[in-house]
Amino acid sequence: MNTAAHPVAPEEVMAFLDGELPTSEAHSVSEHLKHCADCSSLAARLGETQQRLASWKVEPLPAHVESSIRQSAEQEAFRAKNSSSTRILGIRAGFGWKPLLAFSLVAIAALILTSRAGRSPRRADYVASHASSEAGGVAGHAGAIGGSGQPITDQQSRELKQVVTLLSSGIAGDSNGLFHGLGVHATNSFVIDAMIARTASLSIMVKDFAASRLSLDSILVRHHGYTAQLNASTSENAQRSITASLRVPANELAATLAELKSLGHVENESQSGEEVTQQHADLVARLKNSRETEQRLQAILLQRTGKISDVLAVEQEIARVRGEIEQMGAEQKSLEHRVNFATIELQISEEYKAKLDNSSPSASTRIHNSLVTGYKSAAETLLGFVLFFAESGLTLLIWLVIILVPALLLVRRYRRIAAAF
Amino acid sequence: MQDALPAFVLSSEAPRTAMNDSPANPQTKAATPSPSDEHLMLGFSQGSAEAFSELFARYKQPLFGFFRRRLTDPAQAEELTQETFLVLLRSASRYRPRALFRTYLYAVGFKILRGHQRKAVLRATFFGARPAAHDPAVHDSPDANLAIREALARLESTEREILLLREFEQLSYAEISDLLRLPVNTVRSRLFRAREALRDILTAPAAQTVAAKLTASEEHV
Repeated sequence: MNTAAHPVAPEEVMAFLDGELPTSEAHSVSEHLKHCADCSSLAARLGETQQRLASWKVEPLPAHVESSIRQSAEQEAFRAKNSSSTRILGIRAGFGWKPLLAFSLVAIAALILTSRAGRSPRRADYVASHASSEAGGVAGHAGAIGGSGQPITDQQSRELKQVVTLLSSGIAGDSNGLFHGLGVHATNSFVIDAMIARTASLSIMVKDFAASRLSLDSILVRHHGYTAQLNASTSENAQRSITASLRVPANELAATLAELKSLGHVENESQSGEEVTQQHADLVARLKNSRETEQRLQAILLQRTGKISDVLAVEQEIARVRGEIEQMGAEQKSLEHRVNFATIELQISEEYKAKLDNSSPSASTRIHNSLVTGYKSAAETLLGFVLFFAESGLTLLIWLVIILVPALLLVRRYRRIAAAF
Repeated sequence: MQDALPAFVLSSEAPRTAMNDSPANPQTKAATPSPSDEHLMLGFSQGSAEAFSELFARYKQPLFGFFRRRLTDPAQAEELTQETFLVLLRSASRYRPRALFRTYLYAVGFKILRGHQRKAVLRATFFGARPAAHDPAVHDSPDANLAIREALARLESTEREILLLREFEQLSYAEISDLLRLPVNTVRSRLFRAREALRDILTAPAAQTVAAKLTASEEHV
């Protein structure tokens, strides 16, 4: 159709037939159709196509599908009615995710609290069993009384009550997370002598660095402590600092910390305690066993006679046991030392005030240096890429072929099949 | 020719000729004005089963036709029809009448159909199952429909979709434009191309031969 001779485009004729033209345009197209044979023919063709399409009938929706959908609709309507009627203060009566979340949080909090509270009885069991297994101590005595089945005398009863009281006070302190919870009782009774290796960390900012250095030494002398390790950075035109690991008697820890804090402004402080009671008790028991074994072996060597090979075997065994005893003895001493001497990780930093430094290089030198550094960096990066591809390029290519070829085939197959729909 | 014109003027002056499964236009029933689709859907979202019943009566056949004309397997068309109505049921509480209900319904159906086709293509790609559209054995529709289905299958997919939405779902150009995310002018030009192409295919000698064969086989039967 010649569009120059036809003021109406074929699409407009179609849109007119579809009722998609505004009234004014529809009127002009309608007028045009009355006089134009080509457009009338086009309209006839379009109508014919539409009539052909209209002959495509679809069978009715099967009854079983219909009934299934209707059933679902009834259930959904019932649910919608119920949910709107059971909505109270904007909250659905059923269990939504928010109430469940709140309930879960409360349950977790309760669990944590319960578990923290539950640590005390376990601790009491341990201390009591430890005490009863060792010689001496009031709890051991109490355990012996309970185990023998004999009636408890008044004196024994008083001792037992004292042990329970002491245990309770010590454990309560520990459950609060403070390693000094055992208090004064710890030094008076074997039963509650829990062994705790204490560690404190302190970061202090001082104004007078030199004076602080001297004060640190005097504090250590006063509290019978010593420096395990010390690193001092005293470079010029930079912040000076000391990083030290101090060891002080455990009973002097609080006083030492208080004095150290007075040196300047405390920036960070933390304290922790590691209970090594069980570890120590195990070590002592193993040491005792090993010593007894050594004694028995010595007795065998002295009292019995036999072949040379047997004698040598016994001597080898004695040497081995002796080695174990010495190793465990050293461990015991180290453990006791850790308990007796608390560790303080100290960092003292100076409040640094920058000074104007006239010796810095000129701007042009710095620009030059930066350019050189930048060039080197770019060259290194480029070289890195080249080296990477030289080293791994072939492998990458092989993997690319292995992965890409099947992927391309799959994509082509996918597109071909998709085009069929 | 001039006398014949009004017969082809589909809806400029008179209501559009309804296809066999098109929903009845509520506005044409002036005697008893029935509630609009949007009102019915809102009613259902508030728990009115009757509202859905009315909506279902209006759209069960158009929606089934929508799927049936795009799928060769009637069982799949039934399944997707059911799935679309179930989606409609479950999302009723979130329904907001921002567009015509039928546009919303066909948009849901269209999405479900696309998902179904995507899965079918993936299955065919990875597991080698042939898509049903290629298998003549599954054409269970009457013979008269077969020629049209095959002619439509030869159209470009977007043009075919525009033509189907216009002819069978009777969506306006603007609604098709919304549904397929195409400009209205593009919809119009591609619809014109599709109609012309379909006419050419249907009037081509090969198609006529197929039609003749079908007629002969019908007579033989």
